[in-house]
Amino acid sequence: MNLLSFAVKNLKRRKSRTLLTMAGVVIAVAVLFSLLSISSGYEQQLTREMDSLGFHLLAVPKGCPYEAASLIIHGGVFPKYLSGEDLARVKAMEGVDFASPLLLHQIVKNSTPHIIYGIDPNDITGLKPSWKVSGRYFESWETRVMVVGKILAEREDLGVGSVLPFGPDQESFTIVGVLERTGGEDDNFHFIPLSEAQRVFGKENRITAIAVRVHDIRRIAEISRDLETIPDVQVITMAQVAGTIMNLVGSARTLLYTVIVIAICISGGGIINSLLMSVNERTREFGMLKAIGASGLDIGFLVLYETLIITTLGGILGIVVAVIVSGFIEGFVRNAIPYAPSGSLFSFEPALVLIALVFSIVLGLICGIYPAIRSGRLSPMETIREGFL
Amino acid sequence: MSVIEATEITKVYKRGREEVHAIRGVSLSIDSSEFVAIVGPSGAGKTALMNIIGCLDTPTNGTLTIDGIRVTGRTERELVRMRRGTIGFVFQQFFLIPTLTARENIGLPLIFNRRKADDWKIDDILDQVGLSDRASHYPHELSGGEMQRVAIGRALVTRPKILLADEPTGNLDTGNSDLIFHLLQGLNREGLTILMVTHNPGLARRAGRVVSLKDGLIEHDMPPPGCPI
Ligand SMILES: Nc1ncnc2c1ncn2[C@@H]1O[C@H](COP(=O)(O)OP(=O)(O)O)[C@@H](O)[C@H]1O
Ligand SMILES: [Mg+2]
Repeated sequence: MNLLSFAVKNLKRRKSRTLLTMAGVVIAVAVLFSLLSISSGYEQQLTREMDSLGFHLLAVPKGCPYEAASLIIHGGVFPKYLSGEDLARVKAMEGVDFASPLLLHQIVKNSTPHIIYGIDPNDITGLKPSWKVSGRYFESWETRVMVVGKILAEREDLGVGSVLPFGPDQESFTIVGVLERTGGEDDNFHFIPLSEAQRVFGKENRITAIAVRVHDIRRIAEISRDLETIPDVQVITMAQVAGTIMNLVGSARTLLYTVIVIAICISGGGIINSLLMSVNERTREFGMLKAIGASGLDIGFLVLYETLIITTLGGILGIVVAVIVSGFIEGFVRNAIPYAPSGSLFSFEPALVLIALVFSIVLGLICGIYPAIRSGRLSPMETIREGFL
Repeated sequence: MSVIEATEITKVYKRGREEVHAIRGVSLSIDSSEFVAIVGPSGAGKTALMNIIGCLDTPTNGTLTIDGIRVTGRTERELVRMRRGTIGFVFQQFFLIPTLTARENIGLPLIFNRRKADDWKIDDILDQVGLSDRASHYPHELSGGEMQRVAIGRALVTRPKILLADEPTGNLDTGNSDLIFHLLQGLNREGLTILMVTHNPGLARRAGRVVSLKDGLIEHDMPPPGCPI
């Protein structure tokens, strides 16, 4: 037997209190771990979505960058437009490898918003290198053709060859391709040739945004500055888009962190309280231990070990609980944040497991140190006497 | 050769603003292998004196030498070493750990000595206190006398020179008290120096020397009546 196994036996003596204290740790660590996992999964998903875009920056009409950002990722109505001349100037800009015009439009059908992307048929593979399609993409000479995202296709029961009444005049569009699942917002969109989008929605020569790929990614800042010399044009880089969304999420995240802090405080208070109780109950015993040779340090370590066992086991259990209930928490978080990527938000990462474990240990150290010092300092004979009085 | 040498020991406790003079000047010399009974009314300072001799507490004034080492003025560290090596303690309330078996309770001091609990060594002790057949029993499965024997075993496991027993039979019936006293006598005969606080005049009379305390002072210090000097 050593000090550690003695600590274990002491904990077994007060089973229900030990379990109750541990439950507090489990909850705190589970909250911490799931929120960290979700936060990290969220950023990963967002980055993945950014990466799956085949372009580096976006020239948009001057206006609110938030709108622009959410428009690009999320779809939405944007009341301003660029023109064909703007496109020509962007294309002519030095360092620009590739520039493709986009027209976005939103319609509401059966109270569900639908996002329509008008894209240049020649630029599809350039814009969306990661896409895979069952069926085919449309050609530049085709009219009344459409490619749809996988989720949209499933929801609306569309397949290659389906005919869809579309636009203000309910023209019959034929689905020529269904995208394979991308895990991004593209899964929910309609894609039609740019010229068709301009015609159907009466936006001749109008462009919502120009997607730009630069030759040398290190020159992005410089090229952005050059592009903004074009009147009416502002540039957002995909990093900015991601950043903007992260900011949108920021307020929600503050809320989450508040939840974490509260959970930790409650569980920390509970641990300290129950430790002090178990220490106070045992003052006489500690006195006896000192009489038979324990030093103050021994007693302090005994109490600290007891705390660390509780918090470490609680931490491991907390991680397990977090993984088990991750689906439920993800649903809750999805509703709480303004923009959620379509993929799984919960990313199980070894580094986070480590962080949660280190946190449990630190929690134990912080909560245990005061009771430990207190019991170590008790004068042996006063503690023994206390029992008689 | 004296193993305990106390000179003009005083102990003042502060209880709020009030000062309690628990010991008012006690000088005591105890030789190796003596069996000393300490008697006196409640509040006389018996426990205070035991705690000071046991290095659990320090005197307000006076000097104390244990086993040739002057302990007054030493650091807590050195007092701990003294408690670990030279002194064994037995209490009225046994103070056994309920979740440990008799064997584990006896081995408990070795945790703090950073010594491995050699099974054969604890077997010896179990044998010595007559509990070989109770080794894996928990305290609640033992009688009062057996619990006190476990506590004595625990005090012996570090092979101390001095055993301090503060009313070891205070919670026991006559039969068990006699058994415990016998055990202590046996240990004393093997060379252990024993100080035992007791309220039992019958037991005190059987000790080699009786020190009687009253109001923090030694009232008598003599061999028990009827014992040839
Ligand atoms: N830690 C303490 N604080 C205050 N007073 C104490 C303390 N310890 C002992 N005393 C007092 O010192 C006196 C002697 O106590 P004690 O040695 O326990 O007596 P005994 O063991 O002979 O019954 C008593 O008056 C007691 O109240
Ligand atoms: Mg007493």
